[in-house]
Amino acid sequence: MTLPEPFFDYEACLLACARGERQALVALYAKESARLLGVAKRIARDNALAEDIVHDAFIKIWTRAASFDPERGSARGWIFTVTRHLALNFVRNNRHALQVSEDSEMLLHPLASLDGQAAPQDDLQWQPGTERIHGCLEQLEPARRSCIVHAYVDGYTHAEIAEKLATPLGTVKAWIKRSLSALRECMG
Amino acid sequence: MTFKPDQNDPNALDALAGEYVLGTLNAEQRQAVEQRMAQDPMLQAAVDRWEARLVPLNDLVPPHPPSARLWPRIERSLNAATSPDKAKEQHGWWNLLPLWRGLSAAGLAATVVLGTVLLSASPKVSPPAYVVVLVAPQNQAPGWVIQASNRQNIQLIPLGVAHVPSDKALEFWTKAEGWDGPVSLGLVKPGQTLSVPLDSLPPLEPNQLFELTLEGPNGSPIGKPTGPIQFIGRAVKVI
Repeated sequence: MTLPEPFFDYEACLLACARGERQALVALYAKESARLLGVAKRIARDNALAEDIVHDAFIKIWTRAASFDPERGSARGWIFTVTRHLALNFVRNNRHALQVSEDSEMLLHPLASLDGQAAPQDDLQWQPGTERIHGCLEQLEPARRSCIVHAYVDGYTHAEIAEKLATPLGTVKAWIKRSLSALRECMG
Repeated sequence: MTFKPDQNDPNALDALAGEYVLGTLNAEQRQAVEQRMAQDPMLQAAVDRWEARLVPLNDLVPPHPPSARLWPRIERSLNAATSPDKAKEQHGWWNLLPLWRGLSAAGLAATVVLGTVLLSASPKVSPPAYVVVLVAPQNQAPGWVIQASNRQNIQLIPLGVAHVPSDKALEFWTKAEGWDGPVSLGLVKPGQTLSVPLDSLPPLEPNQLFELTLEGPNGSPIGKPTGPIQFIGRAVKVI
């Protein structure tokens, strides 16, 4: 016997946070902390740093809840966006401190599939989903799709992608630019 | 020519927004976009559209349960800080009452219940009929929340990852008033959400006891709790 996923009202939670109701933040934490930590850890490549980022994210969700505007996007999307940009800003501002050695699993595995070859060690399972983005990504050639997905989830810069692919920086920039343009055309 | 493509060309603006959201920009470029966004509604709107397009990709990343320390740490930071608006009210209730400090299990249970009532005010929500906050008996730190949206099924949701020795397991028990003893609801993995059907048990009732005890790797051999209680709480009915 399985339970249907109960409807969870993210927007009501953010409204309640904006009113200073702490239990709404507890509910968001119970619901999404593991996913947010997964996102932060993927970008920060370190457990303790990822927890720092999720800590900061929940403080920001709490203090900035009143600035959430449902006209601009979904409430669930907003909490992921807050967390992800905190993680990206952290790794960009501390690039040298975060230099990951060549044999780091986290750094090398995800990009192993960027040449379009099967990469069994890649822990990102590419599964076409119901979201519109998946259908549009399907239309990109695999190497470029991989480029977009890993840039987003791993937080790589153009230069990092170029280095890992042993491809000229200009080529990588052009690929990403064209892929983004194709995605925009496809998704509207 | 003073043509500035990134200011006048909507395609260049959209490309910049796309790269910002994708995450490929360097620190200086990111800072420039964030500063400009605050004053440029067109750029802000383009960024919002890209966030909405790409945000489903986050669901490709495997979840990673936080340590049991993370939520208490967030709570301490919230208690120490005041929100920007309220910081100005030097004599507001927020500052006068150290209301959130040392939040007790009972307090947390009450706030969770109030929150559930609040959430259920929205017509789209089916409210949990019962809520239980399971706390550690020594320090009352909340470790798990149980939600029951009906009286036949419950969900056990971790607030962190409880530490369990490798040769032990957490066993989940419940006991209502008048029962002979606790009934096992099975073994629980730290950090994992668990759905438990209660079909073979009487419907949930107010004040029903729930607890997690430390048992051998296969659970209690005698069908009754034998090990120390790790987390405990009672069901509160949501009006």
